[in-house]
Amino acid sequence: MSRNTPTQPAQIVREYGPFDGTAVHGVTHDGRHVWAALGPCLVAIDPASGETVRTLARPGDAGTAFDGRHLYQIAEARIDKIDPADGRVLASIPAPGQGADSGMAWAEGSLWVGQYRERKIHQIDPETGAILRTIESDRFVTGVTWVDGELWHGTWEGDDSELRRLDPADGAVLQRLQMPAGMGVSGLESDGGDLFYCGGGGSQRVRAVRRPRG
Amino acid sequence: MDALIAAAARALSAGDPLAALQRVALRDDPPALALRGIAMAQLGELVRARELLRRAARAFGARETVARSRCVVAEAEVALALREPGGPPRALLAACAALRVRGDTANAGQGHLIAARRALLLGQLGEVREQLSQARALDLPPLASAVMELVAAELALRSLHTRAAREALIRAHAAAQVAAVPALLAEVRALAAELDRPAARCVDARGEQALRLDGVEALLASRALVVDACRHGLSAGAAWRPLAGRPVLFALAQTLAEAWPADVPREALIARAFRQRVTDETHRARLRVEIGRLRALIAPVAGIAATPRGFVLRPEGDRPVALLLPPLAGEGAALQALLADGAAWSSAALAQALGASQRTVQRALAALEAQGRARAVGRSRARRWLAPPLSGFTTILLLPAALSPD
Repeated sequence: MSRNTPTQPAQIVREYGPFDGTAVHGVTHDGRHVWAALGPCLVAIDPASGETVRTLARPGDAGTAFDGRHLYQIAEARIDKIDPADGRVLASIPAPGQGADSGMAWAEGSLWVGQYRERKIHQIDPETGAILRTIESDRFVTGVTWVDGELWHGTWEGDDSELRRLDPADGAVLQRLQMPAGMGVSGLESDGGDLFYCGGGGSQRVRAVRRPRG
Repeated sequence: MDALIAAAARALSAGDPLAALQRVALRDDPPALALRGIAMAQLGELVRARELLRRAARAFGARETVARSRCVVAEAEVALALREPGGPPRALLAACAALRVRGDTANAGQGHLIAARRALLLGQLGEVREQLSQARALDLPPLASAVMELVAAELALRSLHTRAAREALIRAHAAAQVAAVPALLAEVRALAAELDRPAARCVDARGEQALRLDGVEALLASRALVVDACRHGLSAGAAWRPLAGRPVLFALAQTLAEAWPADVPREALIARAFRQRVTDETHRARLRVEIGRLRALIAPVAGIAATPRGFVLRPEGDRPVALLLPPLAGEGAALQALLADGAAWSSAALAQALGASQRTVQRALAALEAQGRARAVGRSRARRWLAPPLSGFTTILLLPAALSPD
């Protein structure tokens, strides 16, 4: 299956950070800023200047998503729905992996949550947390994003890290972008255009990767 | 890493192992096992910690080399804290190499320091040197640097290089201050105090005086011919003639040095070396043979001349003669002086060096062990005796970051 998958090296456009003293877990994009979950807090980064423009004192241990108005943040075994204006938690739902969750994305009215070592991506109801369906991957899932109808996930297994495009119907791998050795992906989000933003885990960095077209 | 693992790691690095455990207590996947192991180690549950870390190391996948190697390093540190160094540290050294190749120099360095401290505990001083040089080649954080310099200081002290030891202690102190770990600062101070304690007594033409380690080092570096009853040998400048396996020859040398520049009557030499009060012609013949052997062994450092009533020590080139004795008299002190080199001794070798019976030495060793002044490793015939470590290293220095998510 993956033998014939088109594979190319990931082209890293820019690095943000290091963000002092904490790993980068989830990342998302609200149309203007890149949000990153840094463990004890969430920060918004201006992608042009690299400056941190906002800091919300909300724990973020894994995936981050944005539905157009709210941030969703995995913290421990729950998903917090957060008002980005003031950092208030508006609601919380249980995370589908009960804490073994990693990446998260918003698309088409659902949250898509990666379950790290289980190598799964769950589509869940953002109101109740109910699992609507599950896509199986063959790699650890560390980040999830949707862009232009394409489902991408980040993987990081040992020394190997990639961005992978999956067929949402059957989980088949359609495309692979290989990260350079030693660079992990711990969170993934598209800006809706030509870039992916990747959390860099313990490197304390966020990296922008060019999205291949066609 | 997943959310609960990240949250638990966050709690660990904030110094809250209970909060970390709470988040992963019921999970048996490898990262959770590893975090539980680290948390248990921090809580002092070392046996349980080792078991969890072992399970974690086994459970990580073939591709998860870094995670597995960190578990191996952490497990080795727990084993060290348990004072159960176990078999050869092949797995630990392989983990160090794997971590270094993958850029995790902090944990690779930590691994080499654990290997060095393990070798120090086992009296394998060559291995200590090797592992220290491996660690020194890496860029280490202040805490690990302080540990490294402490090991270096202990090694230098064991080899009687007091200046190197002082320099290492100064570096250890600076690093421990940056790391701001009070326990480490206390270790540095304790080891520094060791330098100021009487380490030996020196008897020469001027009488007897107590020497600190640097005094011993200076004496050994001087022109003097030193009959060293601590390490059992003769030293003259750079020359060193070990006599630890030749108790009769050493007893003769010591008796000649005590009397120098006067000679020693044959009867006195026979009484000391052969432990015989009544002297007959066979003893005199044996004395001639043994003096001949000693003469051959210590030439060209010194000669032994016959006098009408006995023998006299004739150091080469007009050197003064000094006798170096353990700081306290008695079997225990003599044993401790031999063990001070940090190497591992069998009780048979100690008995031979002291010219005492194995039974006497074993009794003395048991007494020293009970007082915490000697340690045994291994069982039955493989049992070896060692000086207790100079520095404590009692604190588990496991960094919470050792297993933090990448």
